[in-house]
Amino acid sequence: MTPSILVEGVAKRYATASGPVEALREVSLSVDPGEFCTLIGPSGCGKSTLLGMVGGLVPPDGGRVLVAGRPVSGPDPGRVASVFQDPGLFPWRTTLENVELGLELQGVPAARRRQVATDLLEPLGLRDFARKYPRELSGGMRQRVAIGRALAIDAPIVLMDEPFGALDEQTRLLMGEWLLDIWRRTRKTVLFVTHSLHEALALSTRVVVMTARPGRIKSVLGVDMPYPRAMDSAEMVALRAGLWAEIREESLRAMQ
Amino acid sequence: MRAGRIALLRLAILAAALAAWEAAARAASPLLYVPPSAVVPALGRLLTLESYPDLPASLALTVREIAVAYGLAIAAGLACGFALGLNRLLGRAFGPILAALYAVPAVVWYPSLMLFFGLDAASKIAFGFLLGFFPIALAVLAGIRQVSPQLVTVARAFGARPPTVFVKVMVPAMLFTLVGGLRTGLALTVVGVIVGEILGSKAGMGALINHAYGLFRTADYVALVLVTVALVVASDALASLVERRAGRWTES
Repeated sequence: MTPSILVEGVAKRYATASGPVEALREVSLSVDPGEFCTLIGPSGCGKSTLLGMVGGLVPPDGGRVLVAGRPVSGPDPGRVASVFQDPGLFPWRTTLENVELGLELQGVPAARRRQVATDLLEPLGLRDFARKYPRELSGGMRQRVAIGRALAIDAPIVLMDEPFGALDEQTRLLMGEWLLDIWRRTRKTVLFVTHSLHEALALSTRVVVMTARPGRIKSVLGVDMPYPRAMDSAEMVALRAGLWAEIREESLRAMQ
Repeated sequence: MRAGRIALLRLAILAAALAAWEAAARAASPLLYVPPSAVVPALGRLLTLESYPDLPASLALTVREIAVAYGLAIAAGLACGFALGLNRLLGRAFGPILAALYAVPAVVWYPSLMLFFGLDAASKIAFGFLLGFFPIALAVLAGIRQVSPQLVTVARAFGARPPTVFVKVMVPAMLFTLVGGLRTGLALTVVGVIVGEILGSKAGMGALINHAYGLFRTADYVALVLVTVALVVASDALASLVERRAGRWTES
């Protein structure tokens, strides 16, 4: 089976005012179709950079990235859709128009894209907000619009960079449940970035722990448990403790 | 209801000011202070083309000069603003110069403009252009800085190429600032053309004002000023209408 995402030995350096910073070193990762793979690690460990490479927004300095077996040379919304921590909704567009954005950029006729976007509003829980502007929506709703915008183009791979990072904890838990439901129905390949252990363990089929800068892959944890997961089961508590031990070490290093 | 009350209040203030003006002017010198009771007949004589038969031609000339100067200011302001805003090197090299030039009282350039372009319409157009250009160019620069990089990233991630990013992200995101700059630019172009005419010309509203003032025809002078004010208010009302349209569209 061709992996959905194949990352081979990528590296990235950024030039900053205080000299070059090595964001990623020799990172390799393979994600199979239908997986929900989560990257977790301390701040600044290059998770977003890695996601940017898969999305074609950040060119790697070394190594290569393949999506569905083909090298990535730039954004390709036909294969990869992106969701960011800042939803990045266009303030002059309504919910419906924001969800339509990707289809509009692909030149899909107006009637067709309106249909697709309208059909998406129901599962997004935004049916009554079709004509509202982003400023009239709550934080959770805005992020659902951004997720809707990504789902509308129906790419087989969805990249999510801390999509719930800016939300309060309750909203965050509910959004996680909602996303799980959407993912199980659409069976897309998801590459997800989070800081939340709970989120990682509740959602993922696989959790990838990254080291402090320069980011490398420290360990990979397969989570082979049925959904919805009982987060207080003995098994889960043990997994969580193990995961925390790994991340704690890296976070401590990142703080120094 | 509220709008009605505001209009009423405005009328009351206007009436009070006119009454005070009338009383003060009569008490002092009606020739120097021109009471409203003298302005009304003068305005009548002006509008019936009795006092200044060349009023329509002068008004048309001034409007034409404003239109040409504003058109040039828009073209050069947009071109210059986008060139400096989208090209980092150009922006760093010339952005500060632009801001510094804007701070110079523009009227100091006028004598040299008259030397370059003569006493006719060209020097007025040049001065109107000079005043109108800066707010437009600077509004484009400010507008470009306002565009959220996140929206540009989103558009790119969803497959937008640079020209599409420009049309679908940059222009709408900066529209409100841009239209504000265009409005200021229009107001200043009008100022430039009329000041240019007053400082030295043979035709146009400014020349008529200068003539009336020079001959101490103060009532006619005030009437001419009122016509000029009407022209300015009309142009600004048009601009504010456009601005509100843009505001409704981009409001965030």
